[in-house]
Amino acid sequence: MTETTTPEVIYDKEGNAHEIVDFNDDYTGAKLGFWLFLFTELMLFGAMFLVFSFFFYRFSEDFVVASNNLNLTLGGINTIVLLISTYFMGISLLNIKQGNVEKSKKMIYITIALSIVFLVIKYFEWMAEIHHGIYPDSEALNVLSKGEILFFGLYFTMTGFHGIHIIVGIGVMIWAIKLINCKKISAKKYVVLENIALYWDIVHLVWVFLFPLFYMISFGGAA
Amino acid sequence: MSTLAHDMTADMYLKIFILLMILTVLTFLQPHIIPGTLSDTVMAQLFIAVIKATLIGSYYMHLKYEAPLFRYIVLMALVVLAIFFIITASDAIFRNESFDLFQ
Repeated sequence: MTETTTPEVIYDKEGNAHEIVDFNDDYTGAKLGFWLFLFTELMLFGAMFLVFSFFFYRFSEDFVVASNNLNLTLGGINTIVLLISTYFMGISLLNIKQGNVEKSKKMIYITIALSIVFLVIKYFEWMAEIHHGIYPDSEALNVLSKGEILFFGLYFTMTGFHGIHIIVGIGVMIWAIKLINCKKISAKKYVVLENIALYWDIVHLVWVFLFPLFYMISFGGAA
Repeated sequence: MSTLAHDMTADMYLKIFILLMILTVLTFLQPHIIPGTLSDTVMAQLFIAVIKATLIGSYYMHLKYEAPLFRYIVLMALVVLAIFFIITASDAIFRNESFDLFQ
């Protein structure tokens, strides 16, 4: 094999020549790929919200009754915890762009800590339901009305899926810190952290709709 | 990247955060300040959620500063979801009704 040193050249619509320098550092491509992944995430959660809407329409009263069993305070605290965590994630990205590596890492650590707080609260919330005998296919649940069974099924599925996303988020944030430590994420190459921040925002976005639909409907027509 | 010139600043992150926090408080208070029927509550709650989602998408996810291609991807996702919702809604609403047209 002989190495050729002839530069590869591509031409734009006007016929101007451009030398191809490097395809391995395609910033826009990396972000575009991640947005396509986010598209599939929207479809995943979108489909679950679709199922929720369908049964909420058909069993509105049962859903309101079942929603009253959820702990509004814990759900509310989690809403605020997640909101604060996305702020710190954004600030972390901002700091890496400006070259403040240590500050950026500190912000990621805060985000991880807040995610863990979220998970711990979620754990207590789920355990409270499970101690009441309410979990998918439990005896206590199966004697309830059809709508209530559906509500709790969707509650465990959707908050469960959301919880898995939080766990994955913590994993990729730890990975980001490792990449920062070995200088693979820097002020010049930060697309990985930017994509992680996008992921974290979509996780928050899902919760923005989950919270009102599962918790706030408990006020129903009673208010 | 030419788009970086108009990127988010720390100031903007804080402003959007405060706005989102106000909207979140509004989410908690809505049933107390504007009590209504179930559908009123759902509508008001979703209205606030959509505003929050728009703020998150535009600023925290930088869509406001991105090339149009990224906005089209999101738009496509929303259009596809809207089609799913409209078709399913017609099923949910008219499932047990009979139409003379089909008899």
